[in-house]
Amino acid sequence: MLLSQSPRAARAPLSAQLVRRFAGIVGEANCISEPSQLVTYECDALPHLRARPGLVVLPESRDEVVAVMKLAHEAGLSVVPRGSGTGLSGGAMPSEGCLLLGLSRMRRILEIDLDNGWMRVEPGVVNLDITKRLQPHGYYYAPDPSSAQVCSIGGNVAENSGGAHCLKYGFTTHHVLGAEVVLADGSVIQLGGPVLDAPGYDLRGALVGSEGTLGVVTQVIVRICRAPETTRTLLASFASTADAGNAVSLIIAGGILPAAIEMMDKMAIDAVRAVMGVHLPAVTAVLLMDVDGTTAEVEHTAEKAIERCRAAGALEVRQPATAAERDAMWRGRKSAFTAMGRLSPNYIVQDGVIPRSQIARVLTEIARLSEHYGVRVANVFHAGDGNLHPLVLYDASVPDEARRAETCSGEIVRLCVSAGGSITGEHGVGADKAAYMGEMFSETDLETMNLLRCAFDPERRFNPGKVFPTPRLCGDLPGKHYVPHPAELDGRIGRG
Amino acid sequence: MTTLEPTQLEECGELLAGAAREKRRVAFVGGGTALEVGNVGAAADVILSTRRLDRVVEYAPEDQVIVAEAGLTLGRLRELAAPNAQWFGVDAPLAERATLGGLVAVGAFGPRRLRYGGMRELLLGITLVRADGASAMSGSKVVKNVAGFDLPKVMCGALGTLGLVARVTLRLHPAPETTETAVVTGASAAAVVDLVRALRRAQLEPSSVVGLRRGAGRYDVGVRFEGFERGVRHDVERFVALLPEAEHATPNAREAAAFWADHDAARTESTLRVRVNALATHLPEVEALLEPLLGSLEAPRLAWYASLGVGFSSGVPTSVPRALEALTLARSGLVRLGGSLVVDAAPAAVREKFDAFGPLPSAFPVMQALKQRFDPERRLNTGRFVGGL
Repeated sequence: MLLSQSPRAARAPLSAQLVRRFAGIVGEANCISEPSQLVTYECDALPHLRARPGLVVLPESRDEVVAVMKLAHEAGLSVVPRGSGTGLSGGAMPSEGCLLLGLSRMRRILEIDLDNGWMRVEPGVVNLDITKRLQPHGYYYAPDPSSAQVCSIGGNVAENSGGAHCLKYGFTTHHVLGAEVVLADGSVIQLGGPVLDAPGYDLRGALVGSEGTLGVVTQVIVRICRAPETTRTLLASFASTADAGNAVSLIIAGGILPAAIEMMDKMAIDAVRAVMGVHLPAVTAVLLMDVDGTTAEVEHTAEKAIERCRAAGALEVRQPATAAERDAMWRGRKSAFTAMGRLSPNYIVQDGVIPRSQIARVLTEIARLSEHYGVRVANVFHAGDGNLHPLVLYDASVPDEARRAETCSGEIVRLCVSAGGSITGEHGVGADKAAYMGEMFSETDLETMNLLRCAFDPERRFNPGKVFPTPRLCGDLPGKHYVPHPAELDGRIGRG
Repeated sequence: MTTLEPTQLEECGELLAGAAREKRRVAFVGGGTALEVGNVGAAADVILSTRRLDRVVEYAPEDQVIVAEAGLTLGRLRELAAPNAQWFGVDAPLAERATLGGLVAVGAFGPRRLRYGGMRELLLGITLVRADGASAMSGSKVVKNVAGFDLPKVMCGALGTLGLVARVTLRLHPAPETTETAVVTGASAAAVVDLVRALRRAQLEPSSVVGLRRGAGRYDVGVRFEGFERGVRHDVERFVALLPEAEHATPNAREAAAFWADHDAARTESTLRVRVNALATHLPEVEALLEPLLGSLEAPRLAWYASLGVGFSSGVPTSVPRALEALTLARSGLVRLGGSLVVDAAPAAVREKFDAFGPLPSAFPVMQALKQRFDPERRLNTGRFVGGL
C-alpha cells in the first residue's frame, strides 16, 4: 500500500461540511464539535495526558459505526475508540484533532445462553451489569477490574482487563469468545463466536489487549461462569510486607490456587482506615484472600491457606462472619486508590508485574527507591500474580517533587522488568507507558508486533501514538523498497 | 530433501535467513504427531526439525513458570515438573512424541481444557523466528502481562505458517493430590446434555467431561474430578447421587484408565480424523449430522467434550466417495449450526477433494494480510492453512 495518506494533522480543523456529514449518520445530538463540550473527552482516567479531539461521535448501532468509519476512511481521519474512559494508561486519550468514537450508547444485552455459557453484548455494556443480569440465575462474568461498576466491556476487550479474581479465573482474553469488529475501511469481520475453535488465525486473541489499535468492537461474546458453591474470605495481618510476601509463596507452593490474593502495605491500610472508615487491622501488611470452589474443597483449602499464613508469621487471620463484613473488607481493598487520592494531592500509579517469588525482595527495593527520591510509595496490589500497583505520592505544588516522583516511578518499572517481569499487568501501555516498551522488548520484537497492526490497519488510523514507543510505519512489505512516510519527510517523525 | 536440525536459537535464525536468501520453502517439524493437520500444501525444499532444540532454558518452580525450547516433548516436560508436584494443563495425546512447538502450532488441548484451557491459555510468551531469520519475543515470563500485542495467541493454531516457534514460556499448575473418574454408561445424546446441565446446577467443578460414543445414540461419559483428596471424594459422591439409580457410576481406576485410553484412540488412531465444533447443547444434532460419516467408517469413534462442544471423530473409510459425501454433509450441517468440521488426517484420495477447513471466515482478508506481512514470499509451511495460506 502507499503511504500517501497521513493521519490528519492536528492543526487542520474538520470542515463544517464534514461535521454535518457525521451528524447525518449519528444524529445532531450524538455529534459533538463544540469546543466547550469536547473538553470532556480530552483524557481518560489519566488526566495529565490530554489532547483535544476534532470531533466526538456517539453511534448507537453497528451500522452507524460502519458508516462513520467509511466516512473517516474517506476523509483520512485518525480514529480513537473510547468506552467509559476509565483506563489508567491514556489508551483512550484522543490524538489531537482526531475523530473520537464513543461507544457508550451501544449498551444492549443481545443474547444470553446459560446452558452453553455465553452472552452477546454491545461494547458499551458496563462490566458489572453483566454479572448483575446473571446473578439471579447463579452465573457471573469473571474479570473484575476495580472499575467494574463503570467500565465498559468494549474497553475491557481493548485493554485485556484483569482484576483481583484473575489469579484463578484468567483475564479478559480468557473470557471473550468472539467479537464483531469494524475495520478502518468500514468493513465488518466476525472473530470467534459462541462455538469454540473457529478455523483460521486467532485474531480474537490478537484483538483482546490491542488497545484500540486494530478495529472498533461492535459486539462482544463473553464467556459466563457458574458461581462457585462456596467462597471463603480471609484477612491475614503481618508484621512486614516480607512476611506477607512469603505467605503468598507458601500458599501457592502448597498447591492452593485462591481466587484472589491481594496485599496492602501500612500506608495503604492507614489511608483506607482514615479516609474510608473501613475497619482494617492497624498493621504493617495485610493479605485479603478469596478461596472458592465446591464446599468440600474450600473447607480444606481455606484451612490450608490459614495454616500457611501462620507458618509465614501471620499475627492474626480474620474471617468475616457475615456477607456485609466480607463486602466491607473488599470495599477496603477496592477503595484504596481513592483513599490515597484524598491523602495526597497527586499520585502516579504503576502496574508492573514481577515473578511472585520476588515480591519480598522487590518491595524492599521499592522502599529504598522511595527513600532515595524522597517521595512516599504506597503498595496495594494483586499479590497472587505478582501484579504490583505502587502508588508514588507527591505534591505538584512542591518544587521538584513531581519530577522526583516520576523518576522514582520509572525506576520501579525498570526494577520490575529486571526482576523478569512486565511493565504492565492490566492497565495497558497506552500513551503513558509506551516509552517503557523498549525496556522489555527489542526493536525487532516491536517491529514484529507492528506487522500484526499493519495487517489490520495498514494506514495506522486507529489510536495513533499508543502502545509503540515511536511512531511506526507499515511501510511497504518487508524485504521491499522502503518508502518514507510524508510525516517523516517533513521531519515530524523518525524511523524505528 | 534436506532436513536441518538446529540446536540453538541463533542457528534457527541463520538457517531461515539462508532459506530466505535462496528463496527456499521451509516446512517445520516437531515430533511428527500432527503432520497431517491442515491441507497438504506445496512441497518444501527444506525441513527444519526442532528435534535437537529441546533444552529447558529456565524453570522456576516457585513461580510455576517454565521456559523451554520448542523441541522439548510434552512427556519430558511432565517428568521435569513432577518432582515439584506440578504439571502442565495441556493433556494432549501422544505426549512422548508431541513437542511443545508442535503443540503451539496446532493449538493443542486435551480433556482438561475445561479446567486449565489449552495451549492458547497457558502460553505466556514465545520466541519466534521469522521468515527473514529475525528472532522476536512476545509475551513475558509472568502470568499477568498486557505489554504489547499478544502474538503467542496468534501463533497458537497457525500451523507454523507465520514463523518458527522456537521457544515457549508456559504456565504450570500444582498437580492435584487425587484424580477420580466416574464413568456413566449408556447415555443418549440428550442425556449427555442433561448431565452437563446437572453438573452445573450442582456447582460441581469437574476437570473433564467427555462422552465416548459406543454405538448409535449411546455414550459413556467420563467425569473427572481432581484436587485435594477430601474434596474430590466428597464431590464424586455428590455427583453419583445426582444420577438416576440405573446409571450409578462408581469410580474405578482400571475402568477410568481404559476410558481415557479410548479417548486417546479416538483422537489418534485410524486414517480419517476430524474435529467437530458446535454448541455443547447441540450434541443430538451433531450426532445426526455425523451418523452417515460414522456409518461409512470402519472402527468409527467419536469423543465429545460435552461441556465445551468440541468433538473428535475418526475411523477408516471403506469407500472414498461415501466418505466424501458424508463429510460434505456433516460440514454443511455443522456450519449451519454455527460450528465447523476440520480435517486432522485423511487418506490422500479424500484430501484431494475435501478442504481441511471449509468455508473461508469473514476475517479472511485480514488473515491473508497477516500472512503477507509475516511471510510475504509464502515460503513457510506453504499452503497448509485456511484458504491456502
